[in-house]
Amino acid sequence: MNYPTLNKLEAFTKLQGLCVLAVVLAAGCDTAEPPAFRLNMVEAVVRETPPEYSQEISDVLGAMFGTPDQPYALAETGLDQAKLDMAAGPAWSDKKGTNFGLYRKHCVHCHGVTGDGRGPTARFLNPYPRDYRPAVYKFKSTLNAARPTDADLHRVLMNGVPGTAMPSFSLLPGSEVEALVEYVKYLSIRGQMESALHMVVYELEEEEVVDENGEPRRDEAGEPLLQRTPLNPATYPEQREEILSYLEELMEGWNTANEQIIVPAEDQIPGDDRLPEEVLASAEAGRKLFYGKADCKKCHGPTALGDGQQTDYDNWNKVHHEFLVEIGRKSESIVKRVGDGELDKAAEQQLINDRVELARWQGVAATLYKPRNAIPRNLRQGIYRGGRRRIDIFHRVFTGIAGTPMPGSGPASPGAKGTLTEAQMWNLVDYVLSLPYEPPSQPLKALPVNVDEVL
Amino acid sequence: MRHVLSLWMAVLVTSVMPLCAGAAEWGSLKGQLVFDGTPPESKSIQNIAPDTEFCSKNELVDETLVVGEERGLANAFVYLYLKKGKTVAVHPDLAEPSDKPVVLDNKGCRFHPRALLVRTGQPFEIRNSDMGVGHNTNLQTLFSNPPFNQMVVNGKPETRMFQKRESFPAPAACNIHTWMKAFVLIRDNPYMAVSDARGNFEIKDIPAGPHEFIFWHDPAGMRGMAVGKKETDRKGRVKLDIAAGKTLDLGEIKVSASALRL
Repeated sequence: MNYPTLNKLEAFTKLQGLCVLAVVLAAGCDTAEPPAFRLNMVEAVVRETPPEYSQEISDVLGAMFGTPDQPYALAETGLDQAKLDMAAGPAWSDKKGTNFGLYRKHCVHCHGVTGDGRGPTARFLNPYPRDYRPAVYKFKSTLNAARPTDADLHRVLMNGVPGTAMPSFSLLPGSEVEALVEYVKYLSIRGQMESALHMVVYELEEEEVVDENGEPRRDEAGEPLLQRTPLNPATYPEQREEILSYLEELMEGWNTANEQIIVPAEDQIPGDDRLPEEVLASAEAGRKLFYGKADCKKCHGPTALGDGQQTDYDNWNKVHHEFLVEIGRKSESIVKRVGDGELDKAAEQQLINDRVELARWQGVAATLYKPRNAIPRNLRQGIYRGGRRRIDIFHRVFTGIAGTPMPGSGPASPGAKGTLTEAQMWNLVDYVLSLPYEPPSQPLKALPVNVDEVL
Repeated sequence: MRHVLSLWMAVLVTSVMPLCAGAAEWGSLKGQLVFDGTPPESKSIQNIAPDTEFCSKNELVDETLVVGEERGLANAFVYLYLKKGKTVAVHPDLAEPSDKPVVLDNKGCRFHPRALLVRTGQPFEIRNSDMGVGHNTNLQTLFSNPPFNQMVVNGKPETRMFQKRESFPAPAACNIHTWMKAFVLIRDNPYMAVSDARGNFEIKDIPAGPHEFIFWHDPAGMRGMAVGKKETDRKGRVKLDIAAGKTLDLGEIKVSASALRL
């Protein structure tokens, strides 16, 4: 996909980079500003939150979560302050050799100070580093909609994500890995709260302007004058209550993650003592499902090389893709109206407003990376991002991969019906794990022309 | 003793019920959304793949803006706005959500219907009527309810129930056929409507009094639109008074391109 806005802007950003470099060289290196959390401007713009609220949202987040150097966890989050202190701030070690500032030492260059997946190296990586703010994690043992467990996040840190730039941190002491897990959760919760604050702002209504006696000021027609209600939970108790109720709701997701782990039925799990013929028979049944009922071939391709549906996006890229498409549509509409000429006063005003809005969107677009398509996994490589254990593949088949086009085939929630039985899902696991070893002459059998013969 | 008590309770309940219904009074809201000006021509979907042969049997068009007969604007949502945590009195006839499922069908490689209304506690059923064609249904942008992404196969509908109301209609997507899109509005009260092919909508039995309503069409609230004597704000919200025993007929509501952010 080509985005004209983005290409122009990319050249512009590079030029800007040079200018910044020139300024830095000229000014020399004085003490740097302490790193600060960055606002999610895509969300602010898409949700049409008036720009006046940006600073206030930032202030509320600051009061609730502190700064990258001094993170703070409200009791409601249940986060461990000691772990956050160990993970946050500049990297250093005390005399006993205890390490601090772990996030900045190990993670920040890719995931960014804010955990928005936009560190300095992010632009050059494929896939892009994870943006923690929506609290959506792909590789976990819980249901699609659920948060990951601490153990899930821990596993990703220990194993890394094979096939991506994410390395393993298994050489770090256990306490350091745990501190990082806590800090990643902290950044996610902070990100979720930022989204919620946009909802709080959305619900604000204008308030009456009052004079020094507390009487409402009125306009010439006698109607009370109205003004923007600021976002300030310190002076508006009802805002405070609403913010805390959002926090409570989102914490419920984290606190119940352990109850949403997918536990396969004991009697359906294939044993480790199966004969080779039994494994082959199971893989063969999985193969039939792959091309039939489970319809894996649609995306993973008729040869399982990941060459099926390749034009869609994951959630993180889709937001940016749609953002850029919308900019194109907005500019087109403005160009068309300017070309039409002869606008009445209201239309003229709307045009001016729309141009201001477009400028705001374009400013944000300048900071985006080019959206990338979600390419279905090539299942013949034997590289499994979420882990190569049978249970890992089972979880992927059962509930899909959160935030991506990969759908689940098991029940989406306890008690619901799924498309496949657990026995069938284990067959698929066997087939998927056999694919890298399938003799090279076999894949041809599954081409769409003779797919009927295969079944 | 217990029998006598429950009998008394029954008498009490039956005698009090009509009183309650009489105490609160109800009114309705209706209107017709009409596109102002010449609607842009509908575009057909390009690059139909996969399932090119099957999905090309019927002409697929971009349904972002559907303007029907008499320039009626279809698929617009009109619903009662409630601040977080607030509830509304519900007419006794509508107190319980219907146990009849709201059906979202994958049919002819499009979602049918395009715009749906679901109440919390009401079954929501996703079907796949395209024989031999795989579809998934992905509702990722739910805010209060858990999002989901499920494979839907022929003859085995996926049924879900939602627990919490959402503030806005949420888009549903099929990731296999990327042009497919529908909108689902989940509310915990019955006061919502979708405009039909002629742009008509009606919400019945709303408690009398002042209320705020949202007019919403993909992608956001319909802003700066004259509704009766009032105008919607930038969020598509407008305050309207519902009179007891009456229908507030907003008549023809002109929807400009600007209201739809076109």
